[in-house]
Amino acid sequence: MLGFFRDINHRFKKYRFAYIFILPTVIGMLLLHLTPIVQGTYMSFLELNQFTLDRYLGAPFVWFKNYYDVLINSRSPIRIGLFDAARNTVIYTIVVTLGTTFLGMLVALMVNRNFRGKGFIRTLFLFPWVVPTYVTGLLWGFMWQQGAGIINVLLVDILHLLPTKPFWLIGPNTIWAIIVPTIWRYWPFSMLLLLAGMQSIPEELYEAADIDGASPWRKFWMITWPLLKPVWSILILFGLIFNVYSFNIVIMMFGFGAGFPGEWGDLLMTNIFRNSFMQWNFGVGAAASVLLMLTMIVIVNIWFYFYKQVEEESR
Amino acid sequence: MFNLPYYLKKRIIDYVIHFIMLIILAFTLFPIGWMVFTSLKENTDILVGKIPFSHAHNNVVDLKSEGNTLWVLTSDGGINKVNRKTLKEESYVNAQTSGTHFLINKKYVWVSSSNRGLLRYDKTNLKSKKEYNLNLPKFDRSQVVGTTIIEANNKIYFAMQYKGFEKIFEFDIKAEKISRAIDIENKLSPSQVRSLLVSGNTLFAGLDNGLLKINLSSGKIENAYDITTSLPLGVAYMEAINGNLVIAGNTGAYIFNPLSGSIVQKITSSAVGGLAISNSRIYMGFNRGFYEYNTKTNKLKAAEMLFRPVDRTGTVLNKSGFAPGEVINFSISGNSVYIGSTYGRVSAYNLASGKVVNTTSARQGAIVISWVNYIDMWKNVDFGLYLKNSFLICGAATLFAMIFATMAAYALARFDFPGAKVLSLAILATQMVPGIMFLIPIYSNFVKFSEITGVAIKGTYWGLIFVYAVFFIPFSIWILRGFFAAIPMELEEAARIDGCSPFQVFWYVVLPLAVPGIIATGIYVFLTAWDELILAWVLTSGDTMTIPVGIRNFVGNYQNRFDLIMAAAVVATAPVMTLFFLLQKYIVKGLTAGAVKG
Repeated sequence: MLGFFRDINHRFKKYRFAYIFILPTVIGMLLLHLTPIVQGTYMSFLELNQFTLDRYLGAPFVWFKNYYDVLINSRSPIRIGLFDAARNTVIYTIVVTLGTTFLGMLVALMVNRNFRGKGFIRTLFLFPWVVPTYVTGLLWGFMWQQGAGIINVLLVDILHLLPTKPFWLIGPNTIWAIIVPTIWRYWPFSMLLLLAGMQSIPEELYEAADIDGASPWRKFWMITWPLLKPVWSILILFGLIFNVYSFNIVIMMFGFGAGFPGEWGDLLMTNIFRNSFMQWNFGVGAAASVLLMLTMIVIVNIWFYFYKQVEEESR
Repeated sequence: MFNLPYYLKKRIIDYVIHFIMLIILAFTLFPIGWMVFTSLKENTDILVGKIPFSHAHNNVVDLKSEGNTLWVLTSDGGINKVNRKTLKEESYVNAQTSGTHFLINKKYVWVSSSNRGLLRYDKTNLKSKKEYNLNLPKFDRSQVVGTTIIEANNKIYFAMQYKGFEKIFEFDIKAEKISRAIDIENKLSPSQVRSLLVSGNTLFAGLDNGLLKINLSSGKIENAYDITTSLPLGVAYMEAINGNLVIAGNTGAYIFNPLSGSIVQKITSSAVGGLAISNSRIYMGFNRGFYEYNTKTNKLKAAEMLFRPVDRTGTVLNKSGFAPGEVINFSISGNSVYIGSTYGRVSAYNLASGKVVNTTSARQGAIVISWVNYIDMWKNVDFGLYLKNSFLICGAATLFAMIFATMAAYALARFDFPGAKVLSLAILATQMVPGIMFLIPIYSNFVKFSEITGVAIKGTYWGLIFVYAVFFIPFSIWILRGFFAAIPMELEEAARIDGCSPFQVFWYVVLPLAVPGIIATGIYVFLTAWDELILAWVLTSGDTMTIPVGIRNFVGNYQNRFDLIMAAAVVATAPVMTLFFLLQKYIVKGLTAGAVKG
């Protein structure tokens, strides 16, 4: 027993420096990450609404009622909205993640050539990524306007591609109205990382391929794509996480931060936020958050294993 | 197919790729450009969707026929010198003024404006101009409705239509400076001057709520007449006839006797635009045409339609139809009447034949670009405070996050201490938790903490700085660890052998090498913090609001003022954009190095 403590003491002395260095981080994370998660998970078992809000964690414990409301109870209005939001989130996340990676790859390939003003053009391409997301939501919400919005003016009045001006912020078009701005905002970042990856690929590989008479298409698929696997796989991993939790663009685009995006524009985050802070249904919101978190952990783990394989391959 | 040489083919492909790239670049930058562009436009133009084509209104505010020339003067400051016979433009200059009014004397065209004061153009050579800095007291130029200017006895009198600016300025033409300012505060105040007229030694000023009679030699108000029962919207036009005054405005035209101080006759009660007197006949403009009133027979005769739609070169587009146009001004010379209206249209009418002889159109005004939206927005919302808060909170949070994340990342990269694996995993796991999950407990905990200890956290700078710093630490650690791992171990070992303590190794050897990475991560964290909306929304209040929260509140209150909203968006974007542009080398280098290796 004494030996065990001595061992701990010895270890602490050996790594004292490291422990001191991580101490502030650990305290912060305990206070603002772990405690809230535990409290939030506990809240998902409580009947926490506008009537019981002031009792906070002392609200009635209802076991899995909130989960029942979210998942099974067909009469619960939250479930219907939540289903729409989940469907939209899946479409949104997949399209945005793939879209940013694809566009980023395309432009990275174009920028990764020798021409005058290369650095300057690369900087210009990065500009949307610096525009704050709440501004992106406002700006595109303004551009998507049915009558006066520039997109409809371009499509209908100038290019005559469509016979009448469509509604972008009402109805099924809404999903595109939120996907396009998100891709616009985030693809430069993908481009940046992919470009850096491309520049680290040795030039000899391409020279050898040139001697063998390989087409550019073949060079891309046989050299660039596989060698960039660590980059694009991590982009997709973080894209998945990031886009599922997308909030600012959608909330600012509809009703200027207070409206309902409609059944084709609502995302899980905006839905949970509305249920929690506008209808004061904190219990249900917490239950939905916990479910979302669990789903994400599963998805991310699957992708993480794939990523690990990639890393091992590349070693 | 013919065979192209290899190098030529490559070159062509290269050009095509370059072209596609530039198109993508244009599409990428368009929304940002659009944001800036619309923030400089008028909201009415934005709402009707004609932003790209909106020019300044070129209503014809003054017309004067002189010999062979006709001066067509428009509200955007356009001075068109037109041939009287053909109505073809001979010379043109644009003063780019707002609230413009004109005066033509022997040698010069004088322009009074709300934004640029008094300007003088040479009649024979419009290129030569002189701008007078009048040293007027400071006032809000966006609130000025218009100006009025007339000439009498080698003096120019001009006034501005602006609440709380009750002065008529007298400008000496010879001395080229203001010789006096006539104070016109009267029993009808507050009032604005809409028209001026000099008759002998008396200056009449048509107000928005009455009529003033001023003695020019003493500069004193002789009388102020309240005529709001007849002309409730004020006197927009004034002319002298047989010792009487014709006063007209949006609610009619009347003959006024300055001796008795009362209206002696009513001419019409419909809206009148433009007024001219010739041969004891009064001509008054109305929508699409004009009236002729004979003062001898007291008969009112409405003339026929005047305006056909014309394009900007003056070609008649539709011969059968008449476009609506408020007549604003007249010029009569013998039998010819020139009538100016909105949209810069001018018609020449022959009184003898009673027919429109010719029509033309003044040049379109300049494309309007103005800072008014920014001024308006800044006045309505305390954006300075929000900017300050955002800089303070984001800056402090970034600083603290960087300090602690650097320490932790170094420890994780270099020491294989018990618990390191758990911590790394926890750092990754935090990225997987929906932010909303933290929001409610943190909010409630802060409130509870304040209840128990009496120390406020919610709504203070430190509360949000603390939350931001902690929230950005995990991500920063994740990136910084890559940087530390890339620093060769041998350097540190050498330092240890030389007798450095672990802290000295960190401080003198590792930290200097990691600075580029720390700067890059710091900038990224700052950008992300600047972007954060939900936490700031819930955890700030009143005077600690950051920009996103401020914008959200502002936008909620001004739902259809897209001009103001875009101005706010530009103000929110500009600081981070500038920061990025200045430091982009660090960001690009640092982030790519860390992320690709890490």
